[in-house]
Amino acid sequence: MLTRGLFDKLLWLALLVLAAALVLVVVRAAGSSESAGSKVLDKAMERAMTYQSRVALIRELYGPVETLLQAGQDQSALLKLAEIEKTYPGEAHGQILKGSIQARLGAIDEAVASYATGVKLRGDYVDKENPLSRRTEIGRVVESGLQTVSARLAANPDNRTAQATMKQLYYLQSRLAGGCE
Amino acid sequence: MKLISLASLFKSRLGLVGLSLAILSLLAACKGEERSNPVYRIGYMNCNTEPETIARFGPLTAYLSEKTGLKFEAVTVNTEDFEERFNQGEFAFTHTNSLLYVILKERSGLKLLASEKRGQFGARSAGTIIARKDSGITTLADLKGKRLVFGPFMAPTGFVAQYDLLLRAGVDPEKDLAYYAVPPGSYKHEKVLYGLLYGQYDAAAAPALDLEVMTREGKIAADDFVVLAQSVIIPYCTFGVGKDVDSKVVDKVRKALAELTPESTAEFAGERVKVLKAAWVDGFEELLDSDFDPLREMAKRAKMPPYEEY
Amino acid sequence: MNWRDKHLWLVVITGFLAGVLGVLLAVWGNPENSGICVSCFMETSAGALGLHNNERMEYLRPELLGFVLGAFASAALLREFKSRGGSAPLARVFAGVLLIVGCAVFIGCPIKLVLRLAAGDLTVITGLLGLVAGVGLGLRGLAHGLQLGRTQQDPSGSGWLVPGLFFLLLVFYFVRPGFLLQSPYGGAAQHAPGLVALGVGLLLGFLAQRSRFCITGGVRDSFLFGLRAPLLWGVIAFVGGALLVSLLTGRFQPGFYGQPGAHTDLLWSGLGMLLVGWISALIGGCPFRQLVKSGEGDSDAGLVVIGMLLGGGIVQSWGIAATSSGVSLAGKVAVLSGLMLVVVATLFLREEA
Repeated sequence: MLTRGLFDKLLWLALLVLAAALVLVVVRAAGSSESAGSKVLDKAMERAMTYQSRVALIRELYGPVETLLQAGQDQSALLKLAEIEKTYPGEAHGQILKGSIQARLGAIDEAVASYATGVKLRGDYVDKENPLSRRTEIGRVVESGLQTVSARLAANPDNRTAQATMKQLYYLQSRLAGGCE
Repeated sequence: MKLISLASLFKSRLGLVGLSLAILSLLAACKGEERSNPVYRIGYMNCNTEPETIARFGPLTAYLSEKTGLKFEAVTVNTEDFEERFNQGEFAFTHTNSLLYVILKERSGLKLLASEKRGQFGARSAGTIIARKDSGITTLADLKGKRLVFGPFMAPTGFVAQYDLLLRAGVDPEKDLAYYAVPPGSYKHEKVLYGLLYGQYDAAAAPALDLEVMTREGKIAADDFVVLAQSVIIPYCTFGVGKDVDSKVVDKVRKALAELTPESTAEFAGERVKVLKAAWVDGFEELLDSDFDPLREMAKRAKMPPYEEY
Repeated sequence: MNWRDKHLWLVVITGFLAGVLGVLLAVWGNPENSGICVSCFMETSAGALGLHNNERMEYLRPELLGFVLGAFASAALLREFKSRGGSAPLARVFAGVLLIVGCAVFIGCPIKLVLRLAAGDLTVITGLLGLVAGVGLGLRGLAHGLQLGRTQQDPSGSGWLVPGLFFLLLVFYFVRPGFLLQSPYGGAAQHAPGLVALGVGLLLGFLAQRSRFCITGGVRDSFLFGLRAPLLWGVIAFVGGALLVSLLTGRFQPGFYGQPGAHTDLLWSGLGMLLVGWISALIGGCPFRQLVKSGEGDSDAGLVVIGMLLGGGIVQSWGIAATSSGVSLAGKVAVLSGLMLVVVATLFLREEA
């Protein structure tokens, strides 16, 4: 007959055995290659590799556009972007490159809209340290845009285009300012 | 009871006066009704064909009627007739390219309403001069003695911008080219590009927007051409309104255009149609008249209307 | 007001330090205006544990661990640790989720609201009004007999579970098992040095346990006791400390537009904080206070904390969290649904007089 006292003793013993087993399992695993090989433990590394692959894919995909931009062929670069967009619609990097070209060609409202779309899709472009960062360039456009568009809006307060652009400029300004999102 | 016939009424002088008064009052009532519920006509510049213009802008016109509660009618107008018909009062609202807007603004006091957004530069586009990639032509100077095809004569980004680009690069289209041509008939911009692609010409004056649209549609590839030069961006197609139209009506139309979204629909030809999609437009933007100044400068340098010199 | 009351000064010192350190944590590396933000920390910690898939919001925040473990240490050292609970457990889990929903739509917890205000972010005004109104409505509901059920001594010792969980998370923080995710980029990648953040968390957790410091508690007590409420003075000291350091470090940028981690959907900011204030009044404290209470053995608060962690995952996965571009449809639906639930609870969970 299992008395209550005996049962409790057995439970205490079981607890000790389990605790010892736990320590043993953890210590042994730490000393072996088992932990490194386990699937679950690769998660962070997998994530990092996926990100690097994405960066590499973007560089390869948009390489011809960058080459055209370096050669000063802005319009050809825009056409190339239009081609890429057919296969990869909604890709943030294309929006950022488009914004960059539009800004250079004087289409400020469209540049701001493209940058805002790109940043909404992926915040990487306003990060300080990120291989994809375009923070300085976006900051420059936002700074000049805030001056020119707000002046335009002050002169024409009912102009809906200027109102919409201001809203997007404020969004980009807010993202550049940082915060937790 | 005695029945009075119409003939006997006419015979009676009093009856004649009475009938005349009745007809006059009826006419006055009709006239009054028209005054209280006038029809506003919008003159749409034909890009290609009249049926295409109606198919594109009929839904937009119906939308404006639905949205404002006013009655609008679409009128198709050829580019060369536009100024004359506008000045004759055939239509109060205009939908034209930006050069026609400038002409009507300078000469007839047309007011800016809203500009069409389409493509990567929104309400603006640029004029480009392109050559085939394998042509060996890399600069505008290389075009001397070569064959060039322009878009329509009054096209801001198909003719004016490129004419100006050539002049500023020291290439006089009238003297320095082997010859230049403008394709006949409709779909001129497409003909320009295909003419270049199939070797009929050495270079072409193409609107940046057409290059973009045809690239998206897969008709051409970005790698087929090299862009020799590109103008600054200038406004594209634009809605204008005659100076005498009531400002409340103008505000209603401007608001209705600004509120158009890709989901906006209108009843047209017995079905509900997406307005922007039908019109090949992304939306409407409120530009300022000063936004047209770069085009004015180009037209002045190229001696194009409204600054032509003979 | 008894200025010789030691407890009053303890509350004031805690509030002042929380304000000062809240701004300094951002100076030391946390995201702008987010030196302390319980809801943001919950979201990033949930991401670190794999509860959502926003790759830019994954970091086990040591401050969060510090708040619970600091409170635990305080309660244990001063023999105030009491395992207690049993008041509407499941409702509290949902309350925790909804707290984070409201915070995520506003972008920040009540502590961050004050930090944002102290940095000159004027978009928080409606949030502040909403929070105050929410606490007022919650008090009104309690006054009309709303009763979630009585908290009782808990012989089962479940009050140990949340401190135990946070201790385990602390071990994870140092051992860094492979399943623990950490964003290399984005808001979660911005953080103060780990030991500094942990130290600040422990200190504030310790002091908050002693003082019962709580933002919504301060609002609540000001409704009930006016200027005599020590917690109100704690909140005032918090604002003062944060404002002082913001000014000294050049972080005070007054304005309505372009503020870090802020949007201008003012109505929704207000409604988000209304939800937070209302729930906080019903469950006895803001998200920060729930962490502290869970550290001192309150398993009811512990369930709110579990709900908040779950909420941190949900608001990111379901697109409820607002961004600088505004509040999403999912966010609006979630806030309205949350408010409906609270109204229903206020209507039907009444104790007959």
